[in-house]
Amino acid sequence: MSNLDHGKFTRVTTLFHSLLGLDVFLLFFTGYAIMFNDELWWLLAVMGGASGVTAIHRITGIGLIALIVFWIVLQIISPTGRGNFSEILPGKDDFDAFVQDVQFMLGRADERHPNARQFAGYKADEVPLLSYIGKGVVFIFSIELTLLAISGLLIWSKTGLAAMFQTKAAAMAFVTFHGLLGVIMLMGVMFHVFEHGFHPAFYPVETKAFIPRSMVPEYHSDEDEEPDTTGIERLSLSPSWRTMSSIFGALTVIGIVSVLIGSIFDEGYPVPRELAIGGGPTSILLTIGINVGILVLGVGLVLSMYGNVLRIRWERQMEEEREGPAATDGGREEPSDD
Amino acid sequence: MSGRQETPEVSGYARSHVAISAVVGILVAGLSVWWAQGFDIFYESLYRVSPTVEGGGIGADWVFGNTIPSLDFLIALVHAADVLMGAFILVMVFLHWAAFRRLADRMRQPGEERGEAVAADGGEQR
Ligand code: HEM
Ligand code: HEM
Repeated sequence: MSNLDHGKFTRVTTLFHSLLGLDVFLLFFTGYAIMFNDELWWLLAVMGGASGVTAIHRITGIGLIALIVFWIVLQIISPTGRGNFSEILPGKDDFDAFVQDVQFMLGRADERHPNARQFAGYKADEVPLLSYIGKGVVFIFSIELTLLAISGLLIWSKTGLAAMFQTKAAAMAFVTFHGLLGVIMLMGVMFHVFEHGFHPAFYPVETKAFIPRSMVPEYHSDEDEEPDTTGIERLSLSPSWRTMSSIFGALTVIGIVSVLIGSIFDEGYPVPRELAIGGGPTSILLTIGINVGILVLGVGLVLSMYGNVLRIRWERQMEEEREGPAATDGGREEPSDD
Repeated sequence: MSGRQETPEVSGYARSHVAISAVVGILVAGLSVWWAQGFDIFYESLYRVSPTVEGGGIGADWVFGNTIPSLDFLIALVHAADVLMGAFILVMVFLHWAAFRRLADRMRQPGEERGEAVAADGGEQR
């Protein structure tokens, strides 16, 4: 099982993160099944064809707006949310962390900067609420999701769209614009999955986003002395990590490159010169690459579900421990539903 | 694979021969599909009725395409943003990949036994 580093997500945040992830994955699978229908014809079919795909995309679109608004309101009205606001602002430390990460990669630094640390171990106290990547993720995802929601609403009604733009081509161009906006998000989430699924100390999934901090016992050393390592050398590496991280790293890179190329050359804008009946893959390599990208996202979806399974198991275990040694004689405990 | 003598003609292929044949087979299959792809005359060029664009025939507005410059600009802008961010995200992937490998090297390797393996501090035991 995974190691637990100090959790930072509250219970609500873990739930929100899982729901947001599920919703955005569905938006990806449906939205890009439309845009990349040449490459993802099977996905289009699985999602219920042209009408099914747009229906699911619209329903999850409404869901996304609900989630965004929920989160904004919560951050404004709750002291925790307001208190955290200053924590998400990027600062000099974050830039330093990026520079130090580059040095760490080149072997010129011995450790990652606290603002970059996913596994904090003994040094947990110096680690901020969000790493520099985390801050970037929050900013980019927020801007993207807001723009996507607004442009999505503008194209909601086809007659409204036609009223807004004089020609069909212009209207379609705006739909394309909406889809292109999501490409950054699409690539970003692939990276996010790699980052949180393949850290050697947490592989196969970093539980921080799934097990709320209230459920993680805090460990503080008795002495006040500064530990000088994170203690990562005491953890054992999973036997499959090397193979799996190499494969998945390669898939992530292929996926990102392919959707980027696809978004430029296969977006169907302004209008394909020849109307392609039934589509048909235009390039085998691109088709494979874009499908690899969808595979990476699929793995992300599975990992996110697995994270929730781990949370449920963890809850059970905590429950049993709370019951005391008396209940460990094999008596089964039903988990309570709080 | 068996070395039975009564059917010598089906036994005893050298591994390297099998491997070479397999590689060649896959290569040829791949190349032939690649080659056949460039083979077709695009069917719409054959069958499509071409309405005159000048006359504003059916579909002419598609040919003119989007005529709103600001929308053109927006799309170009998003493309540029996608490319920039894509490159940046790729850098981040490689950065983390490398960092993860360094961190993994510091961990106890699978199967490695060390005396002080008593993880009383809550460290992971496998
Ligand atoms: C992560 C968020 C989202 C992503 C990645 C995304 C992506 C896409 C993509 C790629 C397309 C196809 C564009 C094309 O034809 O080239 C599309 C279409 C569309 N999207 Fe989104 N979208 C997102 C959120 C939303 C939201 C929040 C709404 C509505 C509130 C929305 C409404 C629509 C509509 C109405 C269409 C047109 C579907 C049709 O043809 O009927 N989308 N989206
Ligand atoms: C579309 C899907 C997803 C979205 C929109 C999303 C969004 C976010 C955001 C905004 C954060 C906070 C910033 C950060 O720390 O990076 C975050 C954190 C996190 N996410 Fe996701 N996420 C998604 C999918 C996933 C998946 C599939 C996993 C598991 C593999 C995952 C694991 C995590 C973890 C472990 C953190 C905590 C990082 C930390 O605080 O150190 N996420 N996510």
